[in-house]
Amino acid sequence: MLTTVILRRLLFSFPTILGVATLAFLLGHMSPGDPAIAAMGLDLDGESMIDPDELARVREELGLNKPLIVQYLQWIGNALQGDFGTSYVSSTEVSEMVFEALPTTMLLLVLTMSTAIISGMALGIVSAVFRGRSMDYVARMIAIIGVSTPTFWFALVLMLTFAFAIPIFPMNGPVSEHGLIAMALPTLAIALHPAALIARMTRSSMLEVLSQDMIRTAAAKGLGKWRVFMVHGLRNAINPVITVIGFQFANLMGGAVAVEFIFSLPGLGSLLIEGIYEKDILLIQGAVLVIGVAFALSNLIVDLLYMVIDPRIRV
Amino acid sequence: MTVTPSPSMIEGSASKNGWTLFKESFQHFLASRLNRFSFGLTVCLLLLIVIAPFIAIYPYDEVNPALGLSPPSWAHPMGTDQAGRDVFSRVIYGARTSLSIGLVTVLFGLLTGVTIGAVSGYLGGWVDEIIMRIVEIFMSIPGIVIALALVSVLGPSLPSIVLALSIRRITQFARVARGSVLSVKSEDYVTACHAIGMSNLRIIFVHILPNCIGPIIVLASVLLGNVILTESTLSFLGMGIQEPTPSWGTMIAKGNEYLTFAPWISVFPGLFLFLTMIAFNLLGDGLRDHLDPRGGSVV
Repeated sequence: MLTTVILRRLLFSFPTILGVATLAFLLGHMSPGDPAIAAMGLDLDGESMIDPDELARVREELGLNKPLIVQYLQWIGNALQGDFGTSYVSSTEVSEMVFEALPTTMLLLVLTMSTAIISGMALGIVSAVFRGRSMDYVARMIAIIGVSTPTFWFALVLMLTFAFAIPIFPMNGPVSEHGLIAMALPTLAIALHPAALIARMTRSSMLEVLSQDMIRTAAAKGLGKWRVFMVHGLRNAINPVITVIGFQFANLMGGAVAVEFIFSLPGLGSLLIEGIYEKDILLIQGAVLVIGVAFALSNLIVDLLYMVIDPRIRV
Repeated sequence: MTVTPSPSMIEGSASKNGWTLFKESFQHFLASRLNRFSFGLTVCLLLLIVIAPFIAIYPYDEVNPALGLSPPSWAHPMGTDQAGRDVFSRVIYGARTSLSIGLVTVLFGLLTGVTIGAVSGYLGGWVDEIIMRIVEIFMSIPGIVIALALVSVLGPSLPSIVLALSIRRITQFARVARGSVLSVKSEDYVTACHAIGMSNLRIIFVHILPNCIGPIIVLASVLLGNVILTESTLSFLGMGIQEPTPSWGTMIAKGNEYLTFAPWISVFPGLFLFLTMIAFNLLGDGLRDHLDPRGGSVV
């Protein structure tokens, strides 16, 4: 029963992944400039000097003279095997560059996610439990400030304060150079926004549950205050919070792009920006594809988690 | 909302007309002090679009190398940047850039997205299935990544920035509109419209959408802040508004190079960006409590 539902959900995520791949392909196709000329290592300005026979040969070699649909199928086929082509700019395999960058970004996202979940839920619970008192007021202020602070600006402020004025953390650079401490400021910078969103959702969801009769019953039974809040309250308030957490992956990656760039962390975000600055279309395609597939998968995991936690969804 | 006179009696049952209802609802909204604050701040910011030339003391591109990097003073309340341009004037003009891009993008996203979502939800079946699959594809790539990739392909011109920023908003509006349409689609009054032989388009735009307007307004106010944030991130990364047009993101990026000895260049635009985000987020919260108290739509 549960297996069928999971299988169906797995099947559903397939078109999404295919769609992301199509989007990445079209992106490359839309870009101005001839990839054949780029592959020959020439600028667009030098177009008049190009030997037409040589150009035709390179086009043939890259498969650019084939119909669009054939190119598309070939690209998908190669991408499925983890081959995103060789970058015209740096002459390296794009897949190699992408998979080298992946661990940094994944580590950053995992650290950020755990920070955001723990601090956000704690803030939300405190806010709901002390509703209407000064603790609640302060927690809500923090949440609204957190939602409104631009991630890249916060990253700069953190860097200026805790790396320049008070040099506790390294200014920038990869983990391989400074160790895990290199992740501290980037993690804080990205985590603020999702933490605030999680706090707000935890608060409103908790308040809704805490107003129900079963909470009064539990309290009347003589259960301890925190036991009522955590076991009866939080357990029933958790579903909307998980939904918000699920949405955060896209949010986090968005934040990671600018923050990786600011702190010079060699992750997917930096790679994407590098691709954009260098007009390296294959690199952009590869990065977009990997990011998109990662999201489709994370959505899948959230949905599956949901089924495990809330039996009603299995029907 | 405009209600066109119709041969049927379906929409004419309320004793008060639309304008009175709107006025009462608006007064009720402004009864909260926080709502008054966020609404006032939003109006002030939007006014900047029109009155920027009257407030800014200097033209935004007036270069004065002799005054480069001077700290805040009476003549230059927020100091000057590396080229001696007045930071205050540039921040004010930057508000104009950011807010008008935000407004145009959200309006474009709203019109397109709501139409797509409403048609999708109303028709159902395979049309709905296909449209929602496409929406899901766009939802699984972060907004800034789509925007960066599109701008890099189309070039950083104003239309391509607006297009790049709208794509994700279109899908967000489509989702919300579809959900609202689904929830009112099976109401009796819609069945009644069918019974008297109204066309589908008329039912969707005249009878269904006005009843779904709450969540859409809430989403629009939240997305306005969101778009402005994405635009400034884009400009910060050098893929958005280009110099000399002032934009908060570009100013923060430029000021970043002088951060340690001339922090005012990037601190003030950052502060304005933060204020704008506060205004729109609070306004969105207030509107949600007011118009859509049960809806937990999270963006």
